[in-house]
Amino acid sequence: MDQKLQERGPVLFNRQVAEGIYHMSVLVPGIAAAARPGQFVQVMVASEPSVQFLRMPFAVFDVDEAAGSVDICYQVVGEGTEQLTRVVVGDEVDFVGPIGNGWHVPANAKHALLACGGVGVPALKLLADELAAMGARVDVVIGAQTEKRLACVEQFEDSIRDSHGALYLATDDGSTGIKGFVNAVTDELLASHDYDYVAVCGPPLMERSVALPAIEHGVTCEVSMERLMACGVGACLGCVVETKDGLKRCCVDGPVFDASEVVW
Amino acid sequence: MSTVDMCVNVGGLPMKNPVTVASGTFGHGEEFAGFFDVSQLGAVTTKGVSPLPWDGNATPRIAEAPCGMLNSIGLQNPGVEEFCKSQLPWLATQDTAAIVNVSGHTLQEYVQVIERLEDEACVDAYEVNISCPNVDAGGMTFGTDPAQAAEVTTALRALTKRPLIVKLTPNVTDITVIAKAVEAAGADAVSLINTLLGMAIDAKRRAPKLARVVGGLSGPAIKPVALRMVWETYNAVDIPIIGMGGIATGEDAIEFMLAGATAVAVGAANFVDPLASLHVLEGMVAYCKENGVAQVSELIGALEV
Repeated sequence: MDQKLQERGPVLFNRQVAEGIYHMSVLVPGIAAAARPGQFVQVMVASEPSVQFLRMPFAVFDVDEAAGSVDICYQVVGEGTEQLTRVVVGDEVDFVGPIGNGWHVPANAKHALLACGGVGVPALKLLADELAAMGARVDVVIGAQTEKRLACVEQFEDSIRDSHGALYLATDDGSTGIKGFVNAVTDELLASHDYDYVAVCGPPLMERSVALPAIEHGVTCEVSMERLMACGVGACLGCVVETKDGLKRCCVDGPVFDASEVVW
Repeated sequence: MSTVDMCVNVGGLPMKNPVTVASGTFGHGEEFAGFFDVSQLGAVTTKGVSPLPWDGNATPRIAEAPCGMLNSIGLQNPGVEEFCKSQLPWLATQDTAAIVNVSGHTLQEYVQVIERLEDEACVDAYEVNISCPNVDAGGMTFGTDPAQAAEVTTALRALTKRPLIVKLTPNVTDITVIAKAVEAAGADAVSLINTLLGMAIDAKRRAPKLARVVGGLSGPAIKPVALRMVWETYNAVDIPIIGMGGIATGEDAIEFMLAGATAVAVGAANFVDPLASLHVLEGMVAYCKENGVAQVSELIGALEV
């Protein structure tokens, strides 16, 4: 069994990076040393159960193992995340992690397509780094409702450039990039390129709209799924995902699933 | 004071300390082994086990509530055969008592689970779940009617010499009526409370937050109700009580013992803090040391009124 940690650490920064979207870095060296791309942390910010009872799951966005920091990127959607925005440098937050299986990067991947949107973007950053380091070409498609809500793009730039890949942006209103959904871009890319690995993370409909065509093209495709969670350790069975092999726990059997195994 | 005697006995089940976990909040224990050595607990109480695999309810199954949460899992479990094959062997290697929670839609299904588990040497006690609010047949329907609660208890009593703990629902007018019925039918102990039936609504979407619409409320929000019911039950029956409902600290657990519980179970707090059950135990020991309590069992029902 993988060692899991509960670790409290000081916040190194917590800044707004787009409309309603924040980037936070926390000093939790144990989790930083153990985390792999595609894993997540369960975050407790409130000290009062009347404010926040359950932890909130966020993808590990970035890790600096030398510095001992773990970054998350979150969108304000309710009281818990609102509370998170009020945390200032030096305040302590409580992480449990790293949790989940992470991406299963094929060792021989030559050309990968990473598609993400909204709060799914952070889950792919470390994967892009790993693929680029392996020598795979990394194409990234990032979607958002509008330019003002587009976040975390610059963190992908190094891996895309180093791997001679390409970055595509898509917004629902056309305020930047292509006007349309992520799959408007991925449909074209899948038809015109020979990808050997596709990774997707975003809202359920967006994941489906990329995963099904990828499967049709015969490309290995993984999706990182999101469900409401309670424990985050595989005990409560609150977060199950329907797969061809029965119900799986999103938290510990996932969050990354083979797209061809998911019942869409 | 050097050490505190933390031993308790729950209806024939010796526990090295009074702390166990509420069924359904701790898997079969292995899920938490990455955080701490679960052998430190007095017992591990497993997720409910039925004769055949159950898929449970549709998602979302979880909703946050003030000072707690709602769940409508619906007793998803792999069935007793798979439980014996893939989960129980791990628990058998742990130096802690194994209490297996037994679930069924019908009387016959409870019987089938216990008959199968009688073949497993490592099971130390049964907790009979007649109180789950999240299944349509069985579950809570047995636990809200004293005659049916007694009928299940009588039938299972005849099958086993192991300690038989019956888990009661708070969703009744008078919990002592059910407690007395299962005591008379041969239960060795009762555990209480299961979750309180509740509901959460998303006003913006005009939709329920749980796919099943209703679910069980747990967490600190229900502690006062649970304490009251433990106290009422302690004054109504002679068999021991495992008290639970919103326990998150050692002091919470001590309160349940003062109200009459012989042992305590940590539930939803395990979701918030994976080490919660261990912290509860440590907090209980600290309380005993600070208050000159040599044996934790002195505290059972020691409420001064």
